[in-house]
Amino acid sequence: MEEIISIKNVVKRFPVGDGFFTALQDINLEFKKGEFAGLVGPSGSGKTTLLNIIGSLDTPTEGEAIVIGKDISKLSHQQSADLRNHNVGFIFQEYHLLPVYTVYENVEFALLLQNIGAAERKKAVMEALDWVGLTHKKDSKPDKLSGGESQRVAVARAIVKRPAILLADEPSANLDAENAHNIMKVMKKLNEELDTTFIFSTHDEKVMQYLDRIVHLKDGRIEKDEMMKAKYGVHGAH
Amino acid sequence: MLRFRLAIKNLLSAGTRTWLSASILALACLIMVMYMGVLQGWNTQAKTDAINWQFGQGEIRSPKYDPYDPFTIDDGHAVIPAGAEGEAVPILVRQASIYPQGRLQNITLQGLPKHQNLLSIPTGKFTTEKEGVIPVVIGKRMAKTANLKVGDMTTLRWRDKGGTFDAAQVLVADIFRTNVPEADMGILWLDIDKLYEMTGLRGEASYLVLSNAGYHKNVPSWNYISKETLLEPLEAMVAAESIGAYVIFFILTGLAALAIFDTQVLSIFRRQKEIGTFIALGMTRKQVVRMFTIEGTSLSFFGVILAAIVGIPFGVWLKSTGVSLGKPTEAMNINMAQTIYPVFGTSLILGTVIIIVGISALVSYLPARKIAHMEPTLALKGKIQ
Repeated sequence: MEEIISIKNVVKRFPVGDGFFTALQDINLEFKKGEFAGLVGPSGSGKTTLLNIIGSLDTPTEGEAIVIGKDISKLSHQQSADLRNHNVGFIFQEYHLLPVYTVYENVEFALLLQNIGAAERKKAVMEALDWVGLTHKKDSKPDKLSGGESQRVAVARAIVKRPAILLADEPSANLDAENAHNIMKVMKKLNEELDTTFIFSTHDEKVMQYLDRIVHLKDGRIEKDEMMKAKYGVHGAH
Repeated sequence: MLRFRLAIKNLLSAGTRTWLSASILALACLIMVMYMGVLQGWNTQAKTDAINWQFGQGEIRSPKYDPYDPFTIDDGHAVIPAGAEGEAVPILVRQASIYPQGRLQNITLQGLPKHQNLLSIPTGKFTTEKEGVIPVVIGKRMAKTANLKVGDMTTLRWRDKGGTFDAAQVLVADIFRTNVPEADMGILWLDIDKLYEMTGLRGEASYLVLSNAGYHKNVPSWNYISKETLLEPLEAMVAAESIGAYVIFFILTGLAALAIFDTQVLSIFRRQKEIGTFIALGMTRKQVVRMFTIEGTSLSFFGVILAAIVGIPFGVWLKSTGVSLGKPTEAMNINMAQTIYPVFGTSLILGTVIIIVGISALVSYLPARKIAHMEPTLALKGKIQ
């Protein structure tokens, strides 16, 4: 399968006081197109930092992160924004919906940034809302939605532009068990239908049971990288 | 379009805060336009009055005459240049005294042709059926200081050509009302032919008020003062009055600017996660800065719309009824009508709007610049202090 993300010898340090805190240490990873993978580990293990680097919201201190053929460290602000705009979708723990926009407008926003025409935009937004089962809520404001519904809107917003990569940072953290399962089922279905690469950051068992691959992180290092299902013809840890 | 849409939605969702800031901006805009409109109206009216009552299309003064130096009056006259008829109105100025109710009052006699129609002085009233008296017209201010009414007579004393004192009774044939104190204060207007008889200066004038500005080229020996030069002091006076309007305008705009600045700082702090989301969705930091700047600047558009809603009907009404100054303006001794009709020029309105929008844009941009240095990962967590 086509390699979409390549992380080589990545180190990430953050300044703390007079010294540094090392969030990632010597990370080497590859993700292929269509993977449904998760970065798993306790708080402070570096999951979100790695996700941010893959999403070009941050850059590595050392090493190389190649995403869809682009070296994250070498991108300008504009190139980095273009990469996110066209190729990367984000789902956050706290949904991060725009409070003044309706559900429809929140999903549409991602397409407006791509200057897509009104008719095409409408079709794509309705399709995305249909995927997550929220067409009937399209005129609601985020403050009128439940947590599960809000997260589904966030999924629709992330998926509407058909990104190659979708990064989800603790997507189930604010959801009850039922909603967590629902959202994971929606994302799994999208992964299968659209062949989008999903990378989760999680320590939620409910999420983990859906993943095809789990990369265990501890103290900024890869502890274990295991394939959970036979999707890629590989079994077990490697 | 996207940025405008989001800006408008955010502003509307901010409710009272938005409308308060917009209201202050609207007030600043209204006060500026109304105040300056009244001043502009005063300026226009004062210039028109000064042209109609005093300056015409300019003046040419006899070589020795200086209206600001009373010592030049005696010798400040010369033979009216050839071809002046139809191009200019001659005025002969002489010093004299009157004795209303036995009091001595120094005045200037100003003679001008009975049949002129360049100046608004009611020269047609230079008539009387009484023999041996000289009909004169005076302004309301002069009538008040001399305590004279229409039909009153008083003694006039002047020097004739040879320097000998002469005296006669003058009859107040008419009292006119003018906004131009210089055409009123201390002046007795009379027929220039009568003044020629009284002084023996037939065919002479102290100065000519031009109806055709080009005529001065035919008389290079007389001192030409253009209409624009004559009106300069008036414009300077109005400009000085405008300073007050600018002070109030900038105080109010400053208050509104402070409110916008404050709102922006608070908004950027409170909406860090939203900023992070915009960047995660594919906007550059510069685009987000622009969006917040547009949002702050849009407040000024709200202000301008509010000002227009209130100001247009009010301005139309004010333009038709005028601004009444309440008490008679003659006592102020400045060229000012009792009722001023404001003039709201395009440049005044556009200028005010541009200043308000410009200041709003600036104070919106300054705090928004902080976004350019934000780390999106920290913004998403709302961890920026």
